[in-house]
Amino acid sequence: MKPLNRTIIGGLIFLAVGLPFLQLVIWSFSNRWFYPGLLPQLWGWRAWHYIFDTAGAQIVGAIGQSLAVATVTAVIALLIGLPAGRALGLYAFKGKDVISVILILPVIVPPLCVSMGLHHWFIRLGLAESFSGVVLVHLTFCLPYTVFVLWGVFSNYNPEFEDQARSLGASTTGIVLRVMLPMTLPGLVVAALFSFLLSWSQYLATLIIGGGKITTLPIILFALMTSGDRPVAAAVSLVFVAPAFLALLFSARYMGRQSMAGIW
Amino acid sequence: MITRDQATDANARTRSGPGLSVLTLLLTPALGLVTVLFGGGLLLGFLQSLGYLPAAGMEAYTLQHFENILTDPGFLKSLGLTFYISAMSTIVAGALSISAALFLIGFQGPRRLVDFIFEIPLAVPHLVIATAAVFLLAPSGMISRILQAAGLIDGASRFPLLINDPWCIGIIVTYVWKEVPFITLMVMAVLKNTGKELLEAARTLNANRRQCFRYVLLPTIFPSLGAACLIVFAYTFGAFEVPYLLGQTYPMTLPVWAYRNYSDIDLMARPEGIATGLVIAGVIIAAIVLSQALTRMARRRGVII
Amino acid sequence: MGDLVLEKLSIRYGRRPVIAEFSLRVADGEMVSILGPSGAGKTTILKAVAGLIEPVSGDIRLDGKSLAGVPPDKRNTIMVFQKPLLFPFMNVEQNIAFGLRMKGMAQRQVRRAVEDILALTQLAGLDKRKVHELSGGQQQRVSLARALVLKPAVLLLDEPLSNLDANLRQQMRELIQEIQQKTRVTTLFVTHDQSEALIMSHRVTLLLDGRLRQVGRPQDLYHHPVDPDVARFFGGTNFFEGRFKDGFLHTGFGVFELPAVNGNGLPLTATIRPEDILISVTSDFELEGQVERAHFEGMATRLWVKCPGGHLVVLAGRGEFFPGQTVRLRLPAERIRVFPPGAVEPV
Repeated sequence: MKPLNRTIIGGLIFLAVGLPFLQLVIWSFSNRWFYPGLLPQLWGWRAWHYIFDTAGAQIVGAIGQSLAVATVTAVIALLIGLPAGRALGLYAFKGKDVISVILILPVIVPPLCVSMGLHHWFIRLGLAESFSGVVLVHLTFCLPYTVFVLWGVFSNYNPEFEDQARSLGASTTGIVLRVMLPMTLPGLVVAALFSFLLSWSQYLATLIIGGGKITTLPIILFALMTSGDRPVAAAVSLVFVAPAFLALLFSARYMGRQSMAGIW
Repeated sequence: MITRDQATDANARTRSGPGLSVLTLLLTPALGLVTVLFGGGLLLGFLQSLGYLPAAGMEAYTLQHFENILTDPGFLKSLGLTFYISAMSTIVAGALSISAALFLIGFQGPRRLVDFIFEIPLAVPHLVIATAAVFLLAPSGMISRILQAAGLIDGASRFPLLINDPWCIGIIVTYVWKEVPFITLMVMAVLKNTGKELLEAARTLNANRRQCFRYVLLPTIFPSLGAACLIVFAYTFGAFEVPYLLGQTYPMTLPVWAYRNYSDIDLMARPEGIATGLVIAGVIIAAIVLSQALTRMARRRGVII
Repeated sequence: MGDLVLEKLSIRYGRRPVIAEFSLRVADGEMVSILGPSGAGKTTILKAVAGLIEPVSGDIRLDGKSLAGVPPDKRNTIMVFQKPLLFPFMNVEQNIAFGLRMKGMAQRQVRRAVEDILALTQLAGLDKRKVHELSGGQQQRVSLARALVLKPAVLLLDEPLSNLDANLRQQMRELIQEIQQKTRVTTLFVTHDQSEALIMSHRVTLLLDGRLRQVGRPQDLYHHPVDPDVARFFGGTNFFEGRFKDGFLHTGFGVFELPAVNGNGLPLTATIRPEDILISVTSDFELEGQVERAHFEGMATRLWVKCPGGHLVVLAGRGEFFPGQTVRLRLPAERIRVFPPGAVEPV
């Protein structure tokens, strides 16, 4: 590829990726931005005040709700997924291809399909419109994804370190706490982060199962977008995307090449 | 990562496994929960779509609901529209990804920075980029304002309709923005370090640029490109937020149609929403199974290089 | 047919200058090696000849015609890379036939050419095998066959033996030599292994620090290095100072009758190879020394000997030696090599 073409393409990529964010940032700091102004006629903090002030208590509440749901989901997914990921990564056995499909389907089949099916029964079980119900439905796709990431983490893990520790006299708890966890920590954090992000971004499943009682950030954002208050919508979008950015920076720093592929 | 490569799997130390019982213990909680929630969700949905709803006193099985949707012109329109959007997004994203891969193969600059920029779209939730799409592509959006300032159009109404439009351009652009990095990453996984050298080898063997591309590059990346594209197709097929926000009110994509039915006041529409959801799930499952088969092919090609 | 001239090539890799003013002439049918430590940029020379890199300055001429601006697929030079780089979606036969098909050759001719080359590279019967079913050595041979079947004017080999284990390396080396002798294809190959270069080449080009240090027959580089760096590269030690006076070289190890090298009276650097020093316990050699260390290496014993004039490393073919032993050494004058001034001083 000619060097000039390469620079052009590089520039286009940079522009394509950066332009949306630029828009969001500018909109969030605009008090008045009518057509056809290229920049806001009036800059200001109104949108940001709205989010964090009394009028926006609903928004802050939604942020808290999203945080709670996503964190709990991520932790549970990690705890349950760890043994499975370890087994898949360390040992060779038949049926891995089948398991691979079992894990990938819940991530790609939209939560819509599953939520509609589960909804009725969640109502009967008292899980509808409840925090636990939402967490459960989020686990449907967060758990398999976590297992997948951990599968990769443990594929690169050398269990001979554990053998070494054992022969040096360490107990099983000691091995878990002092060998396995420290060595796999970056991978575990990334798995938890992906799970968190998946849950954090979820809209429809929360809406169906949560039934309006559990209000998370994407639900608020949706309402804002349809209401037409662009600056607030932009600001909320930026809040919404913040954890994703942090996760990206973290994984870029600590995970090198095997980072964010696959999170959508 | 959604795909594993054979080398990584080969690393799975074949230490004399811990025995079937321990293996089952390790795997069961996770696999069990997934099966119960996901499989159960689909199964229960299937039962409801067949009319089985004991709580509402419906205990007989019927295919009425499926019949209803398959004969509903709204369903067929939505099905066609969804196919169109997914197919277009996949094709455009796939083509752009090939260019991106070519770009990355020969790129000599700060690799980490470029990788980082490429990975950003992967982390951004669809809803956020859809929002930004509105800000950019709406008749009163940024692109329109730039064109206005440049004197190319005269007022917002002259700007072509890109959001809530029959060609679903805004939706497709949003999907493409999100999915190009994903496909590119999966293609690069195969090309990685030796992609450039393989092409160089081909060039000294009398292949000109065009022949290199057609006879060497494309066959090499084909399986992983195909697998990634199928995943993108499947995902966009079932997506809700983006078409809900950026699409027309009619016709709507299949997931939106399904949800509309499900949340309809008329409770009788519910099973039809669920049935639609199952159709969606069916299409996606077929695509994923196909994708996995291609991935297996890709693994072999990725490893030997 | 395959007369190659490299004239004052300067090559940059990205921003870094890698090769400066490299000139070389490879006659038709010759096998010449470019020898040098890893990472010295030798591969870039091959890539420049192949047309995969543009040199910043200088010219490359094949049979008198300049190759500047000619794309790689139009030159008659073919490069075989360090990794086999076989096309994973083709079998052996399709891989080998690749270049022929790109040229548009008829199917029957392709078939015949491939069969011939399979026999030449000892790959008979493997034509339908898939690439991932081949061993490392077989893959390397297919890679070679793929290039040879095109009957190139110049064959460029990038470290052809590096990826192979010791046994395979010898087999492959012999195969390459045999093929080169049969086909008489002009070959330029790159290696960091000096024994490989010495064994396989008609002529050796030594590249150190991006500069050409010496070109010549293997014997010439080995026995008559032009500067201490070259000598050191081939395992030379025993560097010492000497001054010419009245036609004799005066050193710490004695006075030697040698053809004088003009040094204007300044001290010059001299060297002698460990295997050229005569050593004995009993004979009446001039220089006396004490063995400090003795390492048995199989074919010879390497001795570190302390003499009045300094230390010498000696390679003794026969006899048993041990530390503390007193020995007598002789440095044959005709084996001492004196470097002209201006050659880099040893550290």
